[in-house]
Order: sequence, then structure tokens, then C-alpha cells
Amino acid sequence: MNELLQDYLPLVIFIGVAFVLSIGLLVVPFLVAHKNPDPEKLSAYECGFNAFDDARMQFDVRFYLVAILFIIFDLEVAFLFPWAITFGNLGAFGFWSMMVFLAVLTIGFIYEWRKGALEWD
Amino acid sequence: MTAAFPFPAIVPAVPELMLAIGGVILLMVGAFRGDRVAPVINGLAIALLILVAITVLYLPPGTLTTFGGSFVVDDFARFLKVVALLSSAVAIAMSTDYFAAVNHEPFEYPVLIILSTLGMLMLVSANDLIALYLGLELMSLALYVLAAFHRVSARSSEAGLKYFVLGALSSGMYLYGASLVYGFTGTVSFDGIAHATLQTSGIGLIFGLVFIFAGFCFKISAVPFHMWTPDVYEGAPTPVTAFFSAAPKVAGMGMVMRGAIDAFPNVVDQWQQILVFVAIASMALGSFAAIGQRNFKRLMAYSAIAHMGFALVGLAAGTEEGVRGVLVYITIYVTMTLGAFAAITAMRRDGRIVEDVADLAGLARTSPAMAFWLAMLMFSLAGIPPLAGFFAKFYVFLAAIKAGLYTLAVIGVLTSVVGAYYYLAVVKVMYFDEPAKPLEKMAYELKIVLTVAAALNILFFLYPGPLLESAALAAKSLFE
Amino acid sequence: MYQAIVFLPLLGAILAGIIALAGARARHSGYIDMHGHDDYGAAHAHGGGASHGDAAVAHAAHDDHAAHEPAAAGSRAAELITSTLLVVPAILSWIAFFQVGFGGQEARIPVLPWIHSGDLVIDWSLRIDSLTAVMLVVVTTVSALVHIYSIGYMHEDPNRPRFMGYLSLFTFAMLMLVTADDLVQLFFGWEGVGLASYLLIGFWYQRPSANAAAIKAFVVNRIGDFGFGLGIFAVFAATGAVNFDTVFSQAPALVGKTMHFLSWEIDTLTVICLLLFMGAMGKSAQFLLHTWLPDAMEGPTPVSALIHAATMVTAGVFMVARLSPLFELSPTALTVVTFIGATTAFFAATVGLVQNDIKRVIAYSTCSQLGYMFVAMGVGAYSVGMFHLFTHAFFKALLFLGSGSVIMAMHHEQDMRHMGGLKNRIPVTYWMMVIGTLALTGFPLTAGYFSKDAIIEAAYAGKNSMAIYGFVMTVVAAGLTSFYSWRLIFMTFHGEPHDREHYEHAHESPLVVTVPLGILAVGALAAGFVFKDYFAGHGVEHFFREALKFADGNHVLEEMHHTPALIAWMPTVMMVLGFLVAYQFYIRRPDIPVEFARQHDVLYRFLLNKWYFDEIYDVLIVRPSLWLGRLFWKGGDGRVIDGLGPDGVSARVIDITRSAMRLQTGYLYHYAFAMLIGLAAFVTWFTFAGQH
Repeated sequence: MNELLQDYLPLVIFIGVAFVLSIGLLVVPFLVAHKNPDPEKLSAYECGFNAFDDARMQFDVRFYLVAILFIIFDLEVAFLFPWAITFGNLGAFGFWSMMVFLAVLTIGFIYEWRKGALEWD
Repeated sequence: MTAAFPFPAIVPAVPELMLAIGGVILLMVGAFRGDRVAPVINGLAIALLILVAITVLYLPPGTLTTFGGSFVVDDFARFLKVVALLSSAVAIAMSTDYFAAVNHEPFEYPVLIILSTLGMLMLVSANDLIALYLGLELMSLALYVLAAFHRVSARSSEAGLKYFVLGALSSGMYLYGASLVYGFTGTVSFDGIAHATLQTSGIGLIFGLVFIFAGFCFKISAVPFHMWTPDVYEGAPTPVTAFFSAAPKVAGMGMVMRGAIDAFPNVVDQWQQILVFVAIASMALGSFAAIGQRNFKRLMAYSAIAHMGFALVGLAAGTEEGVRGVLVYITIYVTMTLGAFAAITAMRRDGRIVEDVADLAGLARTSPAMAFWLAMLMFSLAGIPPLAGFFAKFYVFLAAIKAGLYTLAVIGVLTSVVGAYYYLAVVKVMYFDEPAKPLEKMAYELKIVLTVAAALNILFFLYPGPLLESAALAAKSLFE
Repeated sequence: MYQAIVFLPLLGAILAGIIALAGARARHSGYIDMHGHDDYGAAHAHGGGASHGDAAVAHAAHDDHAAHEPAAAGSRAAELITSTLLVVPAILSWIAFFQVGFGGQEARIPVLPWIHSGDLVIDWSLRIDSLTAVMLVVVTTVSALVHIYSIGYMHEDPNRPRFMGYLSLFTFAMLMLVTADDLVQLFFGWEGVGLASYLLIGFWYQRPSANAAAIKAFVVNRIGDFGFGLGIFAVFAATGAVNFDTVFSQAPALVGKTMHFLSWEIDTLTVICLLLFMGAMGKSAQFLLHTWLPDAMEGPTPVSALIHAATMVTAGVFMVARLSPLFELSPTALTVVTFIGATTAFFAATVGLVQNDIKRVIAYSTCSQLGYMFVAMGVGAYSVGMFHLFTHAFFKALLFLGSGSVIMAMHHEQDMRHMGGLKNRIPVTYWMMVIGTLALTGFPLTAGYFSKDAIIEAAYAGKNSMAIYGFVMTVVAAGLTSFYSWRLIFMTFHGEPHDREHYEHAHESPLVVTVPLGILAVGALAAGFVFKDYFAGHGVEHFFREALKFADGNHVLEEMHHTPALIAWMPTVMMVLGFLVAYQFYIRRPDIPVEFARQHDVLYRFLLNKWYFDEIYDVLIVRPSLWLGRLFWKGGDGRVIDGLGPDGVSARVIDITRSAMRLQTGYLYHYAFAMLIGLAAFVTWFTFAGQH
């Protein structure tokens, strides 16, 4: 058990350092920075615009749909990279596995297309 | 350059491949033809499921393994696959009338069931933790969608969402447990785990076991991981609930049995404690809470919880006889619950769907046949001899007693007495209450399901041989 | 012939029962309405009775009820059938009486095998000897007359078929009793008359007081029957048989033996006889178990005459006479019998002095006369006791039926204080009552004169230690009897009418009522004179032969004829004394009794409340029993068995169900929390306890 814990010691040190550093950087500006606020500096213009609306407004659900579809095909690509790199070692089984995977994705794509998920209206 | 991954044997997985390809084809047909062809797709899906079931029976005999040992086909898997496939087919058959009534007949429904069933087949054949998870997720994802299938209904959406969130939680638990087990044994293969636990069984491994079983128990809605069941049963469209109560339970039970017997045969003492507690809690809570229910689907949800508890009694014995009892139990349970849901699906008055037990008032006078068959199923669910439900309980309790689990068996019998109350209450409402307005006529396919299910339960005692023998073979193969 | 005597009344009962059932079915359609109406009518009648302002008569309610209800169909047929089927046996009984008593034609008539179980062999057969013959005559004659009388007395009642059926059923049971050839058959008849008595006392079941009286009679009799039952068991244990002949032949061998009873070793025969006598005490309303008899007057008057005066209550006396071979062998038991009888004779007479309900006075007189009979039995003069039983049946039935006639004339008024001066309105009844009273008080040459004097003489001549007590008590009771009997006559028939309205409407009863009175009057006058020699004189041995057993040393029948003249005249003197006092009190100076009662208030109340027996029993037995019953019912059955059993379990199930349902909140985070709690519980379990 002790050995196991010793293996994690660097991690603990890392977390500790990260914690101290971030706390330090948060606190130091309050102590050393030059502060001279005036109304102009505090106005919204200085750091952006006044909000037009409440941030919790409704989005069209189609944004989500598009985002989800994007993620699916994004992940597909993410799978393709390691596959491509080790392709030499995978052999025929590896090749056909990816083909099946792509086929399934294609079928999913066809389905969403036919269901009209890609059309905005 | 030698391939690190040789091409695996395909034959053992032919049923799964058929189902996958068939499901995809049906999806494409539906995608191109639209909801108009839903009845056709329904029929084709049923045909496909039956075809696959036949294929399972005609696979080469003996125990087959493939995909590097992570996929196994033995008699145990064959038995459960056939039961799951057939109950899925029945669930599809039961849906047409319902969806026609709500004017929403989507072709995705049979496709989702096929995909879910594919997950189940994977699940019962899984021989390592990863394959098992794969099957589990494939099954569950389809189920989440199915639960929320009636998307214009708030209750259905709520059911789907609850099921999804809690299902994700349980998957997380399973994965955490699997990683712990992998960490302590160095393998995900069931055989490897069994081998590794011969030497060591530290507390870490036990924790892993606990988490894995928590994931299992969620799927079979065992207490305390049952909380989703009543809400989902009530909220989901009735045919979906019917499906929920049958095939996934079969697969889930298969998963628990294979996991317990194949992967952890050397820590029986530990998982037996879990199962004993879970079984008692399920039987008790299912039986007691069902008494207070007015909604028939909710009542059936608690009934399912209790019945899973009864089935686990057999598994808790940890013997071949116990496993046989569970297999018999789950098969009989599927017939009972599908029959009962056939009646519930048919509960419609003036074009409106009704779901309360009170809506059955005086059914014996308005439609005596339906009342009679449903009453028989209720008696069978209550476990009254000579109906099949009695033998189901009999075999699991027998196994428990032979394994020395007297307390468990006694509590089981007591809770089944409590449980009898609400089943008989349904019969009482049908036979002794003043008739309400008659229900609409039952669709013929529902009538067939109800009648056949009830007849099977009534006549089981005349010819129990085939089921008992095949269950015995299946149980034997699990222990080899 | 004997079969006819015994079974014709049963046939009558069955036929009347069928008629009653058919009638009830025919009326079934309108039953509910009728019923409600009935209750109202009965309650109304009650209110009327109570308004006369005396608690003592509040429950002596009117004999009528709901006269407006139509009679059951076939009432007339039922009356005729049952009456005919009793007149025939009555005639046959007289023939049998002479054949058996004087012709010596005794018989055993087997009817059916009944119980054969190991050593226990009981066959149903009729035992016909002189004792039976006497009882047959008494039972069938009185019963036949009462049947006929009832036609007149009950003519307003809607349920006559049922009434006649009950009467015939009673008669059958009584005949079974007196023809019994073994103890079990005797017990069968014994319980049969108990049942019939219960049904008849509660005949007007709409009336709570009648129901209470019926239950009281039944329960008090159960106490006696319990003893009787034990006695039968003891007989079987000691002799291995219940058949009279076998038991009697083995009895002498038991003398001096002891048996284990209630952890004591007691003389076998004494135990048996005392237990059997306990049954007799219950049935014959003897001291301590007498409380049911006065209340039994709730029944219709013919019932009082038949059952609670002439026949059933004498069953105890009959039983002792029948078992005389056993009692003769146990002097201790005979002493107890004498003591109880004498005490009853005196006690009941004192209570009778102050009662105001005409039927109750006669009821206490019955009680008292039964005491006389037991005194005779106790001193060994069995035939004398039977003689009094025989004569008493006539004059007591006469008195009861006469009082019934009075009650009818007075429109169901039973309180004597509301009567008076009826002599002129109902002369026939008056003279009949006077004859009955003369016989009861023992006026020379009437029936009572011979039998009662014989008992007093026998008591004087008796040898056991209680005989002299019996003598004193019976003599005193004779005087008291005379007083209260004449008091009844004077209050009812003489003086000024107290209730003008009733007086004006009083009318003589129809012939169907007066003819039975006349027949009984003949019996009351002549029965003693004609039969005295066969019961109390030298003809006893010739008449009774083997039916009664006198031990070798028992010469009481001889000695009673040699009592001093002073003793022999004592009862007559007492009778005259009682008459004079009554005359002084109720004819010449009606104010004396009131004054007397006021001056001796304590004594008066003591007697009026029947020595407070009901109250004492209420405190000592009834209330503790009810308390115990309620404890077992509410506490034992309700709280413990139901509470922990069915009710408790189902209530707990509902509780658990409620809490189980409360778990299902519908909130997702609760569900997730439950899952995590479950997981945490397992983990904790295996961390701390699960490791083996």
C-alpha cells in the first residue's frame, strides 16, 4: 500500500505547487497593483457593452442538433487518427472494422439527412 | 508483417450480425419511405427477430468463443437469446394497435427494439467486462430513447430523462467497478478474473465487485437501484413498458448470472451477501409498495421489482440448480408480464387510454374472456398452484433451501403472501365491483398474446418438460 | 301403544312446524313493514304497563302484542292437529296407567340402537313401569288440556302454529325423559325440555325481557346440567354402564368405595348422587338455582302452566325417584336433598307472601311445593313425593290456567293490585281458582290435603339428621302457603275493583278455556282421595313394585302413619291460621298490610326482592363473568389475537406500504441519492463486517 502511495507522491507535489501558484497569483495583484479607479474606468464601455438581454435566453433547439451532429463526426475523425497511425499493424481485420464503423456512421448520416435534421427550416 | 489481430471466427456472431444488418436495412427503408411503411417494417422486424431466434438454435452445438474470447455462445446464451428475441418480437406485435390509436406510428420503434435486442444478445454472450459494457450500453441507449418515445407527452419525456440520467449513473458505477477489478486482477476477461481471484481477494476487489453489481442491479431494477422503475413504467408508452418488463429483464438476469458465476466464482460469499440483501429488499419493497398503487402500470412496475427479487433468490443460492430456477423463473415471468401488458395495452375507453386498476371494474361482466385470462395471469403472478407462476417460485425457493438459505426462502414466501394481496385485488375489482363503462374491443393481436400467455401459464404443469430440461442444460453450460 | 304415546306429539310438532314455516314464507313479502309495526306496538304496550308506576311489575308485561297482525295461515289446522295428537296419547296414558299400575304389565320397548362405542352401549328404548305410567298420565293430561286451553288463550297471537309446535315438541321431549331407560336418554329428554322451555319463554322474542328470561333459564339450567353430566360420567366410570338396570344391580357393590374427585377421596355413591342432584336442583328450581323460574313467567301463561308448574320442573323430582336405588345407598346425599328441599319450601313461601304479580305468586308457590317433594324424597318417602308431584300437577296447572283466565279477562293485566272484585264478573274462573287454592293449601279431602300432609308426616318420621328441619320448615311453609294463596284470591276476586275500566270490560273466558279448568278441578279435588293408598298408604308396594327402591332399613312409610295426632293436625291448623290472617289482612282490614309493610320496611324489601338473590348473583357471578368475557373478547380476542394477528398484520402492511410509497418522491436526485446510499451501505458493510 505504501509503495502505491509513494508512486503518487509526485502527483501530490504537482497539485500542491499548482494550488500555491494559482492562489498566489490571485492574491498578489490585490496587494501590489496600483489602484486608481474613476467613474470612466468603471463604466461598461471600458470592458465591453451593457448586456442587451438576460443571458438565460432560449436558443433554437436546432443549434443543439447541429452541435450534436458535429460532435459525432468530430469523434469519428478522432478515431481515425490512431487507426491511421497503427494501420500497418492492424491487418485486414483492422481495416474492415473501420470500414464497418464508417458504414454505420454513414447510415446514421443518411438517416439524419432523410429525417431533415440538416435543414434549418 | 504479421497482423496483430487475426481475423476472428464469424460464425458464433452470425445472429448478431444478421440482426445488426437487418436493423440497419429496416432503418434505411424507413428513412426513405417514411412512416407510411411502419406496418411493413413492424412485420419485417418480427420476422427478422424470429429468424434470428431460429438461427441461434441452429448454431453449431457446444460452447463457441470468438473475438479473442470476449464473445461466447453456450447453451446458457442460446436459451436467453431465444427468450429475449421472442419477447422482443411479441413486444413489437403488441405495439401496432397502440400506436395506431395515438395516431403516431413511427417506423423507428421496431428498429430501436432490434438495436436494443442486439445489445441484449451481446450482453448475454459477453465474456469480458468490456464486451459486457458494450452490450449494456447498446441495449440501454435504445431503451432511453424508447422510454421517451412519446415525445409530445411530458410524462414520457420525464421518464426517458430520468432513466437516462440514472442509467448513466449506473453505467458509471459499473465502469468504476470494472476498472477496480481490472486494477486488482490485471485482466478484464471473466476467465482471467476467476483465475486471479483464486489467489487474492482484497478489499479493493470486493469494492469493484460491489460497484459492478450496483450497475447490474440497476438494469434488473433491484432495490435499492430500482427507483427509476415505477416512474419509467408509468411514463413510457404502454407497449414500451411491456417491452421494458420483458426482454431487458431477461438479458439483465443473464448478465448478472454470467458475471456472478463466470467471473467471480471464487468470491461467492461476497456476492451472495449482496444478492441476499438485494433479493430480500426487492421482494419486500415490491410487494408492499405495490399495494398502494392505483395505476396498473405502476403496479406492474413494483410487481417487476418483487419478481426480480424472487428470481435473485435462485441466483443467491449460487448453485446450478439455482441458475436453472432463475432461467425457468425469468421465462415464465416474461410470459406472465407480456400477457398482463397485452391486457393493459388494450385498456381504452371512448378512444382514451386508461391505466387505473379501477378502470377494470366489473370487467368480468363486460368482457368475460379478457377478465378470465387476466385473472389467470394475476393468479399466476401471485404464485398460486397449479399455475406456472407457482412452479417458478417453487424452483427458486427449492434451490435456496438446498443451499441452506432458509431465511431467504422464508422471507420470500412471506412476501409472496403479501404480494398476493394486490394481484387478487385486481381480480376482485374485475369480478366483484360494479361494472364501469365497457372497455373498447381488444385488438386481435393483443387478444392472441393475452390468451396464449394465460394458456401457457395454465397448462404449464401438464407439460413442463421442455422448459425445465432446456433450462437445466443452459445452467449446466454456465458452470462448465 | 307406548310408541303412540311418545311419538304422536312429535308428529304434531313436526306438522305444526311445517305449517309455521310455510306461513312465514307466505308472509315473507310484506315482512319488513309488518316487523317495524310490531316493534312499535310492543314498545307501546310496554310503556303502558310501566305507567302503572311499579317497578316490580314493569317486566310482568302484557301477554298480548300486535293483535293487529293477521294470524298465520293454517293456525286453526295446526291447533287442531296438535291438540288431537295429544288428546289421543292422554287417553292412551290413562289406559296404560291402569294396565301398568294395577295390572302389573311393565315393559321395555326397544326403539333403536343409538350409540355403540367400546364399552359404551346406549340403546334407545322405552321403560314402562309404574313411575313412568304416573308421569305419562301427568304429562299427557296436562299437556292435552294446555293445548286446548291455548286455542282460546292465544287466539289473538299471529304465530300460533309455531306456539303449538313448540308445545308439542316440549311434550315429546318430556315423554322421552320419563320413558328413559338409561341416563343418556334421560339426559336427552332433559335437554330437550330445556330447549323447548327456552323457546317458549322467549316465544315473544320481540320483547327484551322475554329474551333475557329465556337466556337466564337456559344458563341457570346449564349449571345444573353440568353437574348432571358429570354425574353421568361418574356413573359410567364407576359401573361401566349407563343403563338403569345394570347400574342399579351394580350399585350395592359400590357402597363404601371412594373415588378421586376434585383432589379429594370421596364416597363414590355420594359423589354420584350429589352431582345428579345438582341437575335436579337446576331443573326443579331449588334453592340457589331457583332464580330462573319466576322470570320464566315472561312466557305465555299456558307455558307457565305446562312447563313451569306441572311437568318440566318436576323432572328433578322424577329423576331422584327414578334413581332411588342409588340415593337409598347414600344417606349423605339424602340429607342434602332434605335440606335443600326444606329450605326451598320455606324460602319460596316467604317470597311469595309479598309478590304482586299474580303469576309470580304462583311461580313461587310452585318453587315451594317442589321443595316439599324433595323433602319427601330426602327422607326416603319416594312414593309420597311422587304423590305430591301427581296432585300438584293438577291443582297447580289449574291455578295457572285460572290465573291465565283472569289475565285474559283483565286484558293482560297481571298486577293483583289493579284487580279486585272480579268474583262477580268471572264466576266460573273464580270457583276454579278457589278449588285450586283449597287443594294447594291442603283443605281436607282435596288432593293437596293428602299429599302434603303425607309429606309433613314423612318428614316427622324421617330418620336423617335434616328430617326434623324439614318437618319444621314444611309446617311453617304450609301456613305461609295458605296465607299467600288466600291473599291472591282476596286481592283478585274480592274487595273493591281497583281498575274500573278493566273491571267493566272483564268478561268470562270461552268454553275452550273453562272446560280444561273444569277437568283439572276434578283432578285437584279427587286425585288425592282416589290414589292416596297407592302412593302413601299400604298399596305402595303393590303399585310401584320395583320402580321405587326402599332400603331394608327404610320404614318411613310405615312410621308416618303412627305420628301423633297433634303432628297430623298441624298442617291443617297452619292452613286455617294462614286463611284467617289473610282474611283479616285483605278483607276486613285492607289497611293493615300497608301499615305492616311500612313498619317492617327492611323485612318487606328483603322479601319483595326475593332475598336479594338476583342482586347477589349479579355481583358475585354475572358481573365477574361478563367482565371476564369482555376481557377475553376485547382484550384477548380483539386486542391480542386480532390486533397482533389479522388486523395488526394488515394494518402494519398498510403502514409499510405508505412509507414505501413515500420513498418514491419523483425527484431525480432522490433516486440518485438512494442508489448512492445503497452503494455506500454495501461498501461499508464489506469494509467492516463482510470480510470473513
